[in-house]
Amino acid sequence: MPTSSPFLTPCATTTSNTLALISLKRDETIPALLHAPTPTDPSDPIANTRFGSYPHSTLLHLPWGTQVAASNVGARERKRGKKRKLAEVNNNPANASTTTAQEDETPAQEEPAFEAAASGFAHIVPPTPETWTASLPHRTQVVYTPDASYILQRIRARPGDKVIEAGAGSGSFTHAAVRCVFNGYPNSGDDEKVIRGRVYSFEYHEPRFQALQNEIKEHGLDGVVTVQHADVYAQGFSGAQDVTAIFLDLPAPWMAMSHLTRGGPTQGGPLHSDRPVCICSFSPCIEQAQRAAAKLRELGWVDVGMAAVQQRRIEVRRERIGLMEEGLRGVTAVPATVGEALGRLRELEGKTAVFNAKRKKNDKRDKGAINGHTTEMDVDARSGTVGDGAVNGHHENGEDMMSKKGLPSGSKQQRLKNNLEAAKARKLYKEGRLTHRTEPELKTHTSYLVFGMLPPEWTEEDETKAVAESLAFEKQEVQKRDKVEEVES
Amino acid sequence: MSWNNRTRIKPGDQAILKLPSGLLKPIEIKPNTIISIGKFGSFHTNSLIGRPFWRTYDILDLKDGEKHARLRVVPASDLNSETLSVDNTPQDDAPVKEDAEAAASANEKFDIVGEDGSIIMRNNRLTVDDTSRQALTMTEIEELKNAGTGSGKEVIAKIMAAHSALGEKTEFSLAKYTLRKSKKFLKRFTVLPMEVGTVAEYIMDKDSSRIMELRPESLGLVASWSNAHHAGNLDQVEGNPTQGRYMVVDDTGGLLVATLAERMGILYPPASEKEPTEQPDPDTNQDDDAMPDQVESTTDAHSGPSRPNPKDTYQAATSNTITVIHPHTQPNLSLLRYFGYILEDTSSSSHPLYSHLHNITWLQLLDPSADTVYSNPPPAVDADTLASWKPSKRGQHFRKLRRHTRTQRVADTTRAGGFDSLVVASFMQPASVLRHLVPLVKGGGQIVVYSPSIEPLTELMDYYSRERRGAYMKMMQERVATGLDVETCMDDEEEDFPVNPTLLLNPMLQTSRVVEWQVLPGRTHPLMTSRGGPEGYVFSATRVLPAIGKVNAKGNFSKKRKAEETVSESPKKLRVEHVEQTKETAATVVGADA
Repeated sequence: MPTSSPFLTPCATTTSNTLALISLKRDETIPALLHAPTPTDPSDPIANTRFGSYPHSTLLHLPWGTQVAASNVGARERKRGKKRKLAEVNNNPANASTTTAQEDETPAQEEPAFEAAASGFAHIVPPTPETWTASLPHRTQVVYTPDASYILQRIRARPGDKVIEAGAGSGSFTHAAVRCVFNGYPNSGDDEKVIRGRVYSFEYHEPRFQALQNEIKEHGLDGVVTVQHADVYAQGFSGAQDVTAIFLDLPAPWMAMSHLTRGGPTQGGPLHSDRPVCICSFSPCIEQAQRAAAKLRELGWVDVGMAAVQQRRIEVRRERIGLMEEGLRGVTAVPATVGEALGRLRELEGKTAVFNAKRKKNDKRDKGAINGHTTEMDVDARSGTVGDGAVNGHHENGEDMMSKKGLPSGSKQQRLKNNLEAAKARKLYKEGRLTHRTEPELKTHTSYLVFGMLPPEWTEEDETKAVAESLAFEKQEVQKRDKVEEVES
Repeated sequence: MSWNNRTRIKPGDQAILKLPSGLLKPIEIKPNTIISIGKFGSFHTNSLIGRPFWRTYDILDLKDGEKHARLRVVPASDLNSETLSVDNTPQDDAPVKEDAEAAASANEKFDIVGEDGSIIMRNNRLTVDDTSRQALTMTEIEELKNAGTGSGKEVIAKIMAAHSALGEKTEFSLAKYTLRKSKKFLKRFTVLPMEVGTVAEYIMDKDSSRIMELRPESLGLVASWSNAHHAGNLDQVEGNPTQGRYMVVDDTGGLLVATLAERMGILYPPASEKEPTEQPDPDTNQDDDAMPDQVESTTDAHSGPSRPNPKDTYQAATSNTITVIHPHTQPNLSLLRYFGYILEDTSSSSHPLYSHLHNITWLQLLDPSADTVYSNPPPAVDADTLASWKPSKRGQHFRKLRRHTRTQRVADTTRAGGFDSLVVASFMQPASVLRHLVPLVKGGGQIVVYSPSIEPLTELMDYYSRERRGAYMKMMQERVATGLDVETCMDDEEEDFPVNPTLLLNPMLQTSRVVEWQVLPGRTHPLMTSRGGPEGYVFSATRVLPAIGKVNAKGNFSKKRKAEETVSESPKKLRVEHVEQTKETAATVVGADA
């Protein structure tokens, strides 16, 4: 039974010993090699995240894409402690949550079930080269999806093809490449006739090589990916055969290029003896790219060109503007239109007029009050300044008057409160203008991609043969035509 | 090994010629025909047969007694030295120096000269931009062209020689001049096989709106995010009887289908004749062999012909399939003919797409009982009556029956869902498409939507926005609380919630643009011009199965937020609904997984 990779042929549900990704939010995904407790290894690993803890037993045997609630791991630990203390029949660990059904099914294991935590959730998604690229442990600079997708298209990596990848690094491109060339696992019956796709991966750095090799095994890809620890500058691409697409992510790609020769009885190189071969060299600096291009031309590759991929991710949001938004979160309270601004200004003018009128009236009253209204005089005395006394007094007086009915009808606080009340009834998710912009984090340069193609081999011998064949074919056709003409006549 | 892997040209092949001017021209290699490539000349197809694809050919001059011009395979070294226009890379400055000594005396004044008298760089101060510098007149050039010698090389040489101030040109401008003249006068072409990339480039130049201006980089993104790949060779993966079923809505004339099919290994027909080193692809054969049994089991109501009819394999594959949903009675997949496939044409029955490409109308998908073909099987006929019929009538009966069976089978399997991905490049409103098709994708599957302009996709992003999802979940929760039937109310909310926003995870909108560079020694820079038009945007998301019951998001960790929210509750028991899990919402989820 060949191993089945969750990348290529995922099972319907999450299963033990396969890779699953715990998606917390868009750019936060945690890989987990799921482990089911077995009699020999009863441990139940727990994936601890910012958004709660997920024991593997709660993630197993779920359809892909399921939303899983976090578990309250601490509660179980406490319970377990209590259980030991009491040593009582406590076979009813209450609060069996929905996510712990499997645990309940195994009563032999007298572990209390995990409780769902009060908050926190994650989605369990199948690994794809894209999600893996977003979650993989970085060992080197990663080849991101926009680059990888374009490169694989241009180097014509297709099912059944053999690809060289040198400078495997973190293995992100490895996974994307294997998806392109995969057309079945080897050694499963009808293999003699079938040409299966394969990725030959080379890595010079030993710890990275080890890490990648382990990953490939864990991901069930060891039948379709060969990882080698080798120095391709010195040793070339030994072991690779019939290759038609090459991806070089090396500091000095030109030093490896001379090893890219065709295979066959005379040459014995890694490339396919007949088919065109496409190459992409991936280097961040222009000097590297230039030397790579020069070397390719020198070695007889054609269509040598260079490109750079610029990708932008775009965020979409609703922009709400207007005075009705004042006091709400995440908005700027600016009048939406000139009309609204005029309205607000007129309102203010009106209020000022009312205020001034009141003040005038009160001033008159004050003038009368000088003759013996002690209360007012006391206020003035408290404020300490005789000259401003009247104004201060009226201020307090005025606020006192209004506060009897709660907030002043036109005051800012009242306005904000009204806005908040109104917002509850509004459908904020569909209000405002739909806008889009580039996301704050922008990759302006990843690498220069140097492409080239080695056309099918064509020797003098081939040429003379082709000329002869073409002449023979022509003769044949002429004879055929003559025959037809004879018959017709 | 399939068709596209064959390197030698055979009679009947489709090909695309790339001309020196960069133009693409699709041709068919019909024996005994002459193919004219305009001012670049003409050649006889027979001289291409047996020669390799991918190579560049010079049209040689007619020799005495020859009826047709011969072709010469241009060696790679020639092609490269012409692009460079110099024989060496600038790291070796020897030739520049030799040249410098001769030129130094004559052109001293307008060169940047080093202390030892060598020219460091020519300068263009004194170049004159005037057509009078070319001594040859237009008629003279025409005559040269008609004389047609040396595949156009001689014309170029003569033109260059007649240029009165060639020596004044800087090295770079001379290179550019030579290249420009080569593009104009070289009698040369490159033969490319039909591949998705080449066909896309050809249509892009000719009629870009036909393929929704789908750039190669966007196509790459779409194909990658759709996770389309070959379904493999396992008989059965645990719990997954079918592998690799992709659903497509394609308004690009079949380019999208072709791209996915290429990734799945079902685009190119197996090579018609075995080449000594090559083998036919047994996967496709194996599938085809397996199909008749299955089909017969479903159609054994009638006593069908005992020998397997190739027509029975039509759209009968169950794994590694593409299902196209189309708005008209017939899908527009006309570009597939470049790859040797014509829909419903039995002459294509050996093509992998014949059994692996399914098509279904929106009506058959959403309301099959209203579709005549689906709901009206031809009346059952017993064997005797059948035998008494005229062959033509019998044939018609079987044709109808087959059509009905096929339609029913495709519609039923499509309606059952469980697709691996949904890929959309359509002029239709994305939300209306996704509303019906997202539920048919299995959990963890990918949803990809392409649009030439961004507005349809910003709208879609908005329908899946955090705020809207929060509101949707709140609404569903209220409905459950008040005992309303969740399903029946769905239609009322179409305006506010055209799609169920809880079914997709991590919606993302992106665009990508490739900048081509000229990379020549000392002259490396991005190309000065490139194609404008729509950028092309790609929406992608993962189909998920929202939890049934109450799930609360973990609160935001920012201090400010905590301070705000903890007014009523202790910080440890923070249970804030509709507060994002930093950026992702959860709140209460109702099992509305359609």
